[in-house]
Amino acid sequence: MVAPCLRHQVGRHHQKALWCCVATSTAQERTGRIGGRWTPWLFVAPSLAIVVAVTIFPTLYSLYLSFFRWEPTLADKPFIGFGNYQELFSTGRFVNALAVTALITIVGVALELAVGFWFADFVLADRRGQRLVVALMLLPVMVMPVVVGYTWRLLWDAAYGPINQILGWILLRPVEYTWLGQTSTALLAIIVTEVWQWTPFMFLILYAGMSTLDGEIYEAAEIDGAGTWQQFWRMTVPLMLPIVIVAVLIRAVDSIKMFDVIYTLTGGAPGTSTETASYYIYQVGYQFFRLGYGAAASIVLLLILSVLLTFLLRALRSRMA
Amino acid sequence: MQFRTFRKYAALVLVGSFVLLAMTQCAPAAAPAPAAEQPAAAQTGPAATVEDSCTNAVEQAKQFAGSTINVVWESGLQPEDPKVFGPKFTELTGVNVTIVEIPYVDMYTKQLQDYVTGGGAYDVLTLAPIWLKDLVNAGALEPLNPYIDKYMNKADLDDYLDVYGSDGYARIGDTWYGLPDDGDVFVMYYRKDLFADPGNQEEFKAKFGYELAPPKTYQEFDDIGRFFTEKYSAEGIYGGAFQHLEGQAWDWFVGPFSGAGGQFFDTETMDATINSAAGVKVLSDMVKASEWMPPGVQKWGFTEVLSAWLDGKLAMIITWPPVGRWSEGIGKGTDQLSWVPETKVVGNVGYAPEPGGRSALAGGFALGVSPNSQNKDAAYLFAQWMNCPATSLERVMLPFALRDPFRKSHFASEEYKALWPTAGEYLQTLESAAMQGQLELGIPGGREYMVALDQAITAAYAGADPQAALDEAAGKFNAITDRLGRDTQKEAYSQWLQGQWAQPGPKQ
Repeated sequence: MVAPCLRHQVGRHHQKALWCCVATSTAQERTGRIGGRWTPWLFVAPSLAIVVAVTIFPTLYSLYLSFFRWEPTLADKPFIGFGNYQELFSTGRFVNALAVTALITIVGVALELAVGFWFADFVLADRRGQRLVVALMLLPVMVMPVVVGYTWRLLWDAAYGPINQILGWILLRPVEYTWLGQTSTALLAIIVTEVWQWTPFMFLILYAGMSTLDGEIYEAAEIDGAGTWQQFWRMTVPLMLPIVIVAVLIRAVDSIKMFDVIYTLTGGAPGTSTETASYYIYQVGYQFFRLGYGAAASIVLLLILSVLLTFLLRALRSRMA
Repeated sequence: MQFRTFRKYAALVLVGSFVLLAMTQCAPAAAPAPAAEQPAAAQTGPAATVEDSCTNAVEQAKQFAGSTINVVWESGLQPEDPKVFGPKFTELTGVNVTIVEIPYVDMYTKQLQDYVTGGGAYDVLTLAPIWLKDLVNAGALEPLNPYIDKYMNKADLDDYLDVYGSDGYARIGDTWYGLPDDGDVFVMYYRKDLFADPGNQEEFKAKFGYELAPPKTYQEFDDIGRFFTEKYSAEGIYGGAFQHLEGQAWDWFVGPFSGAGGQFFDTETMDATINSAAGVKVLSDMVKASEWMPPGVQKWGFTEVLSAWLDGKLAMIITWPPVGRWSEGIGKGTDQLSWVPETKVVGNVGYAPEPGGRSALAGGFALGVSPNSQNKDAAYLFAQWMNCPATSLERVMLPFALRDPFRKSHFASEEYKALWPTAGEYLQTLESAAMQGQLELGIPGGREYMVALDQAITAAYAGADPQAALDEAAGKFNAITDRLGRDTQKEAYSQWLQGQWAQPGPKQ
């Protein structure tokens, strides 16, 4: 390390340069000896410690807990192997909760995507008042889901809710339907509420993506005789697919974890007809304190999310390639 | 850094996490030893004869002046009570009182969580009888006997109305885990003007063949409700209502079910019998009754029932005691009750126990002490002072209070009877309803069983066949029983059934 320095030890500032050279080389040696391999780790250590403490450790601990019958009100906390997992799939309630979650996610996200797409296309086509429309569309996304739940609960109210009132005006007779109290419509009400809040999110992503599409290719397609529908399916959709996949990914993950709206709107009722996986986990884990069983349910949900993420990311990667 | 190297270190991190995990398991992660095994602070003090529990609590608490106790209370309107009396206690003793407000649905969880994690965030606990067994089994409640021996005039224990002082409410056997602090019981309120109307009397008798009077059976409740709805619904008045909202719908099942002789379990096999003929009949009656109740009643909670009743839109309601006071305008004009609609039924309210022979002892609170408290004596003394006859009478008379009379001295209080013209009648009804009351299922897993029942009830309200809904609930009951141990549960249920207010069957 000293040799290269010698090259600079000439001229008027010989003494000073020599001192600098020695100091630098000493620092370099120290760094090389102590930190060479470990320096990157030292830099990431704080974040790594946080990730281990708040993500990796709790996840592993949940996995560990899921093999025990851990309930604070019981004297023993025995190891039961896959007992909790077996119970999850044998009682039917968790499976039902997964099915409800899947239904809300598939129908909800599909509607959000379709409406978001349509709206983005509409706003882009007519540029008047675009800024105002985009600003207004941001509002539902910015409202807390709990507030959305309580607000929509009032909107769906049988006696005082404006939804029944508007339907009454249309049908020219009083409508006093209990949307949230009937199995057939409670899920519908949840999906509508979700779509109302999250379509703007989908819109914003798609709007941003569609704004970047080159207008010239559409002009060329038009000259070639492609109709609006053809342009949409054969150009817009393929070009937008990576963005669509990301948008769907974000929304699907969010929807699978849905809790707030269920908690405020239906509490899983009537019966267990609107109980989602997250709500079920909350109930067994935090209301009944069945922590081992709740952990098992969380692990299963985590696995489902991981599979979904892998699938969608692979699709995205192949699309990008 | 090479990816392979990164993988190596990532693996190291994972292994490290596992080691950390294992170390955590070696450490005492489980709950602290049950409270019963811990020496109670009060045991070391000298026993003394106490004449007045209120005065003694204040005098004794002065030695803890400057300390702070955290008191758990249900959020909402409930804390308005300790917000008045907490500062009074501080003024008298120098002990600072902090109120920790928790929504009812989270109270059990948070208090148990605090104990299990050894947090010690709470000193005074609020417990409901339905949680008692679970909390005691977890060791999350400090036995109060040593404190009672040291600080209380024991005659005050006899002042609790028998039902509230009974085994399973706030004590198990002779061990007190809480001081009963709230006389929650369902009462039926009815519109005396509608019932006394000669036209209604005549029409009703002609139609049903018996006198129009406050219903004693569910059949009568159904007849009367249907009659009023048919006659007055055009004017926006309905026969009646009670809460149907998920989460607490089961409380309206408990009373009539017991009155019909229904039992939750077979005492021999511990198989669920919620789906017995009695259960199906009661649930079918409840569903039938919702036909003549206001539209949307399936999603009505406490506030909806209260608002419609005070607005004069209902002929009968079944609910908790505070509604009776607010119906007479007690607390009108206070900031705390500004959200309660103006009452239009003053002077027209009649009181009766819940139809069906038993009134549900729905909810109810007791004040306990956390085993993790660093200041158990001060915590207990606050609970005793709040609960002693003189202070508790002031509290149950607080206009915006949600605490209901629970001591014999409350029911006999001339001061209370003078609050409004029919207050005496009101107190008498509360007392008789409580004395023919039915306790909520107070065995381990009680809440879990009731949530399963609640799901069956809301499913039936939504159109499911009551028999099928209750069969499903019975299946869930059996699964809970098997998980908690059939023999253990059988023993707990048999023990619970020995209590006078747990045994099924009508009581007059």
